[in-house]
Amino acid sequence: MGKSLTARKRPQRVPLTTVKAVSGKAVAWFIMILFAVFSVIPMLWLILAPSKTQVELQRSAPLSFGSFQGYSDAWNNLMVFQDGRIVDWIINSIWYTGVQVLVACTIAILAGYALSATRLPLRKTMLIATLVAMIVPQVAFVLPLFVEISALGIYNTAWAIILPGTFYPFGVFLSYIYFSTTIPSELYEAAKIDGCGDWGTFFRVAVPLSGGLIGMLAFFSFQVNWINFFLPFVVVSSGDVLTLPVGLGILFSSTPALSPQVGANALPIRAPEIALAGMLVAIPILIVFLFSARLLVRGVLAGSVKG
Amino acid sequence: MLRHRSKLMGQINGMLMFLPYLVVLVMFAIVPIVMAFRVSLGPSRLYPEGGFGNYLFVFEDFRFLSAVGNVSLFLLIYLPAMLIVVAVLSLLLDTVQMKYTLPLRLAYLVPAGISGSVAILVWYFMLEPTYSPFAGIFAEIGLTEGVQIFNTTNLVYIFAIMAFFTGAGNWIVIQYGSLQSIPQDILEAARMDGANVFQQAFLIKLPLIRKYLVYMLILVFASGLQIFVEPYLISSSVYPGLAKDWSLNQLSYTLAFTGSNLGAAMALSMVMLLVSVIVALVIIYRTDFFDEARGKMKEKTIG
Repeated sequence: MGKSLTARKRPQRVPLTTVKAVSGKAVAWFIMILFAVFSVIPMLWLILAPSKTQVELQRSAPLSFGSFQGYSDAWNNLMVFQDGRIVDWIINSIWYTGVQVLVACTIAILAGYALSATRLPLRKTMLIATLVAMIVPQVAFVLPLFVEISALGIYNTAWAIILPGTFYPFGVFLSYIYFSTTIPSELYEAAKIDGCGDWGTFFRVAVPLSGGLIGMLAFFSFQVNWINFFLPFVVVSSGDVLTLPVGLGILFSSTPALSPQVGANALPIRAPEIALAGMLVAIPILIVFLFSARLLVRGVLAGSVKG
Repeated sequence: MLRHRSKLMGQINGMLMFLPYLVVLVMFAIVPIVMAFRVSLGPSRLYPEGGFGNYLFVFEDFRFLSAVGNVSLFLLIYLPAMLIVVAVLSLLLDTVQMKYTLPLRLAYLVPAGISGSVAILVWYFMLEPTYSPFAGIFAEIGLTEGVQIFNTTNLVYIFAIMAFFTGAGNWIVIQYGSLQSIPQDILEAARMDGANVFQQAFLIKLPLIRKYLVYMLILVFASGLQIFVEPYLISSSVYPGLAKDWSLNQLSYTLAFTGSNLGAAMALSMVMLLVSVIVALVIIYRTDFFDEARGKMKEKTIG
């Protein structure tokens, strides 16, 4: 009886579910592609905008291309602002971020290894402190840091921006997880038996096996420090010490690009110029992101879901 | 004896490796908090005797309540939007063949490049009818002037859109990564039991990544609470004063740098920091997100 019931149902159900599945898939693809389009349009606009003149930007189709000449014109106009201040900002951003990534990652790897593979005293307390510091957003520390930085006498110097960026609790946590899960502890034991001390094990076993970890640490620390606005904005006041993202903010408020009310000062910095400055901030992140996509997909949370 | 010595050496080496981090932890997390706390209790013009007067001053400031209201509304829009879109899109990505979705995943990562001050720049142009690629859509619903979009009622949505697009793609890809690592046999078993695609997604996969979604929400809440750059820049350039003291961090900044009331600014910073630390402790002790990390620690300590 039961058998004949299912046998009777089957011919009706199969086509129905197939139709459902096909239309369901179509809806799924439609939603996914639509979201992709919305994700890409702002960046596309930002890359295309500097190729056009101010007039073209307002008149021609929003996602059209102007000319390559447009980029160099926009750049020359940007250079008019405080005698090429933008070059200072670019150089500062590059070397500040470079030092931060290098120092922050080195410190984080050492600390993560110490937490996971050595007999560090007070280990649990240190791990909890790191977790708390990792969850509290960096922005929350900015105004308190201002008080400390003023007291230290490094206000308005590069160090005021660089040093706080070397504190990287998320990096310590990632390293800790990596060294205690991805690398089997037998490897450390084996190295110890072969006569490696803690440092030997670290340099000869742990570091050579952590290519993926180092990539991920560098990626996140670059992203955070390159784009940071609030801290440099608060701890530095001179234009020549500032970074590109804060410089972009200065361009907003002191040129007619976004603020028609400052139109009188006749700087040639309008929408194409400011879009070019924005593009210079965004493109490095975009490149790093796309190159690290594989790490990002597999990394962070992957392998952590267990049934 | 020898064993005792090697144990001691292990401790010393561990401490040496940990030392650089400990120094920056103390210097750039603990010391600033202690100093800011002392400033917040210090004497100010209004409260020469110091104490908790600065805290009272902040709570009684009319701008404080309106900033709390703004930020709460912002979070009420931003958080559910993140949760729904990230959950739905990562589940969708996971239901179709992996190799076809690579271009989509890369596309979702693109907006991460647009954050902070660049986000203001780009979204200003995206929303300003004179420049916007969406000008056609805006015109359809009767929006042809910038002021129709950039006004005080819409601000909260504008900031929510900026924050949403900066973070959503990242999280979709991350949550997709955790969906991918669900063991095949679990899904196979569900299929054998007759679960269709929707049932698999909502009854099997969603519960398995639930804790990561919760974790995301808490992190997004903690960072959303600190919103500063978006309202500050809109207010200091495009539409002067439009979002003045709109967020809590803006108010804190104003108190410190234009109100020359550093004590009150630090009091407000302390309150916000306290909220963040409570949030952090809740994640660590009240959710199972870090159980594994803490569990490892226990094993180690016993062994």
